[in-house]
Amino acid sequence: MTPIEQYLAPATLDEAVGILQQGEVTILAGGTDLMPQSKAGRLAIKRTLMNIRRIPELKGIALDNDAIRIGALTTITEILNDPLVKEYLPVLADACDHFASDQIRNAGTLGGNIGNASPAGDTLVPLIVLDAEVELASKPNGSVTTRRLPLAEFFTGPGRTKRAANELLTAVRIPLPKAGHVARFFKFGTRPALDISAISIGIAGVIDNGVISNARVAFGAVAPTPIRAARTEEALEGRRLDEATIEAVASAARDEVNPIDDVRATAWYRKELIHNMTKRILDHVAQA
Amino acid sequence: MNVAEKTHFIEADTLIGKRIQKKDAPEKAAGKTRYIQDMVLPGQLHAKILRSSRVHARIVSIDTSAAKALPGVHVVLTAADVPDQQPIGVARDHLPLKGERVRSLRDEIAAVAADSEEIAEAALKLIRVEYEDLPIISDPQDALKPGAPLIHPEPHGADGKHLHLKPNAPIAFAGKPDNIAMQFDYTHGDLAQAEAESDVVFEDTFKLHYVTHCCMGVSGIIAEFDASGNLLMYSNTQVPFLHKREFAEYLHMDPSRIRIIQPPIGGGFGSKLDIYPFEVICIFLARAAQRPVKMVFSREEEFLASPTRQPVLLTLRSGCKKDGTLTFRQVHTLHDNGAYTSWGATTPFVMMQTFSSLYRVPACDYHTTAVYTNNPYAGSFRGYGNLQATFAIEQHMDMLAEAIQMDPLEFRLKNAQDAGEVTGQGMKFKSCGFKECLTTAAERSDYQAKHRDNIVHRGDAGPVKRGIGIASMLHVGGGAKIYPSDGCGTILKLDDFANVTLITGASEIGQGSETVLSQLVCEELGLPISAVTVVNNDTAITPWDVGVHASRTTFIAGNSAIGAAKKAKAKILAAAAKKHGCDETALDLRGGFVIKADTGEPVVELARLMRNLHFSDKAELVMTTFYYEPPSVHQDKGFKGDVSAAYAWATQVVEVEVDTDTGIVKMTKVTGAHDVGRVLNRLGIEGQIEGGVVMGQGYALTENLIVDNGVTRNPNFRDYKLVTAPEIPEMDISFIESMDGEGPQGAKGVGEAPSICIAAAAANAIYNATGVRIFALPFTPEAVYRALHGKAEKPQLQAWKVTTT
Amino acid sequence: MSLKHDIGFTLNGVKKRVTVDVGMTALDMLRDVVGLTGTKYGCGEGECGACTIQVDGLSMNSCLMFAVDCDGRDLVTIEGLAADPRADALREAFVEHGAVQCGFCTPGMVVQAAHLLATHPDADAETIKRGIEGNLCRCTGYKKIVDAIESACCGGK
Repeated sequence: MTPIEQYLAPATLDEAVGILQQGEVTILAGGTDLMPQSKAGRLAIKRTLMNIRRIPELKGIALDNDAIRIGALTTITEILNDPLVKEYLPVLADACDHFASDQIRNAGTLGGNIGNASPAGDTLVPLIVLDAEVELASKPNGSVTTRRLPLAEFFTGPGRTKRAANELLTAVRIPLPKAGHVARFFKFGTRPALDISAISIGIAGVIDNGVISNARVAFGAVAPTPIRAARTEEALEGRRLDEATIEAVASAARDEVNPIDDVRATAWYRKELIHNMTKRILDHVAQA
Repeated sequence: MNVAEKTHFIEADTLIGKRIQKKDAPEKAAGKTRYIQDMVLPGQLHAKILRSSRVHARIVSIDTSAAKALPGVHVVLTAADVPDQQPIGVARDHLPLKGERVRSLRDEIAAVAADSEEIAEAALKLIRVEYEDLPIISDPQDALKPGAPLIHPEPHGADGKHLHLKPNAPIAFAGKPDNIAMQFDYTHGDLAQAEAESDVVFEDTFKLHYVTHCCMGVSGIIAEFDASGNLLMYSNTQVPFLHKREFAEYLHMDPSRIRIIQPPIGGGFGSKLDIYPFEVICIFLARAAQRPVKMVFSREEEFLASPTRQPVLLTLRSGCKKDGTLTFRQVHTLHDNGAYTSWGATTPFVMMQTFSSLYRVPACDYHTTAVYTNNPYAGSFRGYGNLQATFAIEQHMDMLAEAIQMDPLEFRLKNAQDAGEVTGQGMKFKSCGFKECLTTAAERSDYQAKHRDNIVHRGDAGPVKRGIGIASMLHVGGGAKIYPSDGCGTILKLDDFANVTLITGASEIGQGSETVLSQLVCEELGLPISAVTVVNNDTAITPWDVGVHASRTTFIAGNSAIGAAKKAKAKILAAAAKKHGCDETALDLRGGFVIKADTGEPVVELARLMRNLHFSDKAELVMTTFYYEPPSVHQDKGFKGDVSAAYAWATQVVEVEVDTDTGIVKMTKVTGAHDVGRVLNRLGIEGQIEGGVVMGQGYALTENLIVDNGVTRNPNFRDYKLVTAPEIPEMDISFIESMDGEGPQGAKGVGEAPSICIAAAAANAIYNATGVRIFALPFTPEAVYRALHGKAEKPQLQAWKVTTT
Repeated sequence: MSLKHDIGFTLNGVKKRVTVDVGMTALDMLRDVVGLTGTKYGCGEGECGACTIQVDGLSMNSCLMFAVDCDGRDLVTIEGLAADPRADALREAFVEHGAVQCGFCTPGMVVQAAHLLATHPDADAETIKRGIEGNLCRCTGYKKIVDAIESACCGGK
């Protein structure tokens, strides 16, 4: 582990992306993941440790035209208690309620949960089915530029994303759901929250006259990254939630995922859970 | 103003059965209690241990030169630096520092004392160890196979020939010709005849997993030598006096030069009953550095290098007659000893009691073989084998009842023990509330009706099935004659304000013994709890005690404290009688006064009497000692004997909801009835039982230390899952007060009892809900789901003795 | 050897300035630099809650927090709560209800409970259980802890 050579706590976004441009920077936000990872030697802090917690541009939840913009530094507790989220994105609030513990929700940030790119990250699956985009800022030529990427395409492997080394994840933008939008999140565990999910499921779509459109299905902890499940979505798209459709979607889901065995579950059991819980979620939606 | 003098009499009152606040609670709730982790001695160094990176290997070389050269490093030790080290542990098979061979991943190879923990850790990284891998035994059944690699082979010299050691040299030096660590064989009755009389016989193998104590305060020690070579240890041990003697042996020291101070302890549960290598190593470091050395584990180290509960493979054969009379039990167990022998290997002492004596059974045949493997080694853990035995026996009780179409409660009542019974193993049940435990728990939970209804509703639509299960237990409750003595000394000192200093050998490990001992003393002396100061944590001050284990402290130390208090009381009353010219039998102590026993009229304030005596009389009165040795006996060679002065009983009924889509078992309610003899401190006993129930819940449902080919896969709270607050069941606890004649105020020990039945009752509840019986713990969602889908492997026990070729 | 950084913060109402290693946890700073040992190390991974403190009025695991990130913030530890009369009822409830056994989880539990009561003054038993889901206790089985918090909740009114 190379020793940290400088610690910086910039007060503006401009300053922060300027520091990133110099390279060899580890970004510190809530610290809830960085600290234990670095203590355990699983992650080496680079030459510069940059604390972004003092940058006001990265905070807050606001309506931005037809989207809700959540600053990367927004804590899980802030999302959980936010009236906009409660009204428009209840599935995200639900996921935040199943996130670790009160202490970690108070410190951990949305940007951190995305940036860590854990296949089991609790907010990722609901954000993917909500068509969320990430906003990335950088300062390659002396001025700050931003780009957006769909979250579903952002992850490249465990702990790896398409964020370039000189970029800072500044916010998540979630389009305002249309009328009739329904979204559900399921996290498997024996505890309400303090569990690393063995699997998680997000399902969303617009229900119009009983027919589902814009179907979105995503799974956590069944692949190196959270994944969107195209074939499962296909089985759902344009259908009514009758018994046959629900079984077809659940079976498609089981066939589509390709999980591994680890200390938390075997691949076989994960596939069974994906099937049974996809079915349960859709049963509940159909009954509602 | 004195209310008593105004009213002219003091009403009789008792502290027994009241809700007494724990004496140390205010300090703890304010964060002011200093645990060993919080202690800093001037000049203190910090120590860390280098553990093996191989499961089983020969050590080819160890190079510590770079570590020794690191600035801030004071001492680096390997086995070569302590040629006189002595083997520790129950079987003396364990050298603290390993020089030639590592047998598990916890094995200690080197240790560093440095100016800071960071420097010590950096130094460990600089130590180079060269290994030569050896074949690994991770499945205990493999340890018994012919030609199995030996974990403790006999040593050979450089020429390849056997080394000739002194006869009776410890295993650590002489080795073992096989992998058998210990064997236990017990029998009573005529097995063949009893089996022939049976109408129903079941034989099943049960598999009990690894769990570990998870004390919230990690292990730690501080060792320091003074200028004269006397050793002072700050230690979390539960058995300071036994350890003082053992350390003396390991260190070639006179025991009188060793002093152990026990700071408040962050949880025990049996984990601190043995001496572990880290403690001896820390002392070696302190001796070499001539500075105080502190060693505290990380949580990961705590998981890797602490003892576990004994994992067991157990085959049980049980039989009964059609009328519901039990006929026999035959038990074979294979104990995975791990690489070294600690108390886990001796759990058969307790297990066989459950098989032979929980129910009346005419014939019982019990055999254990404990084998060495390259796995973590098992120690003592609250319940001491009884969770494992009860898991098997109580499932068979349900299976037998079902086979003869008898209600499970009726079947148990028919075979349950009564007071006055002497069992095949020689245990004498002087007080026994077993049947009342059974009926109370069953009635309060509506067990029989729910049990019938749940079976009817098994086939109903919907994924969630409800189940109810019952299990009972027997455990020592009046000490346990394991050592030559089971006694405890007390010194009681009264000052001239009538405050009591109770100096007892019994340690407080969070269980509340300080409070209950104070309560028993105050009950005799008529004083408020606040009048007592307890001194219990320094071997240089306190009288001898065997230690905190076997649910013995309230019973043994309690009787000892009562004895001291009674002695003091007799002297006080005699002095008061003399001074006030009356008969001492007419006097009593109450509310801080000497009173007239018949009317409650105060004669003299106790504090005044004490001052008076101090200034005018001999001080003999204020110092009194007492020693209590309960009327129990050692087992004979066949493990027969009445080892405890009293036995505790309990029945627990567990209710569950099984989600058949996920396998998640939710424990919704636990109804317990405990024969505790008598409730002393209601607040304390409730806390013991609730905590024990939830510990049992963890054993049944969530906790699982995953050991895979000798490697612990989940040494953290993320994946080793303790029960958290939202998961706890509703708890309905009843106390059966059988008023044990030998117990302090009628009480019996209760510390271990509440964890024992939960897993067994949960197994029966899952069966009641689903019709599927699961023979292996834990009931994690995946395990249950597999079982529900016929994909669970039924445990098998092929070999329990060496296979002969 | 390792990079140092000067920080200033309020600790239990008193302004503090200290120099810390940049990689150090807030927990180690409190225990080893400042010398307040009421906050406990239980796991170092945010799983047990023994190290819970309040930062700017919110409870957090001090073992997950970089000490340098305390700069400019308002920290309250169990020692601060012990000196705060507003927390008396809560600490007394822990004592009275038998919520303390070995006591090692207790400081973190009390700090978390204080935060819970501040954010959910009308918490019922279920809310309290969820509120302390990040605090492990091996001795009590939680029931008496929940009872204590619930009584302080109502007693505080």
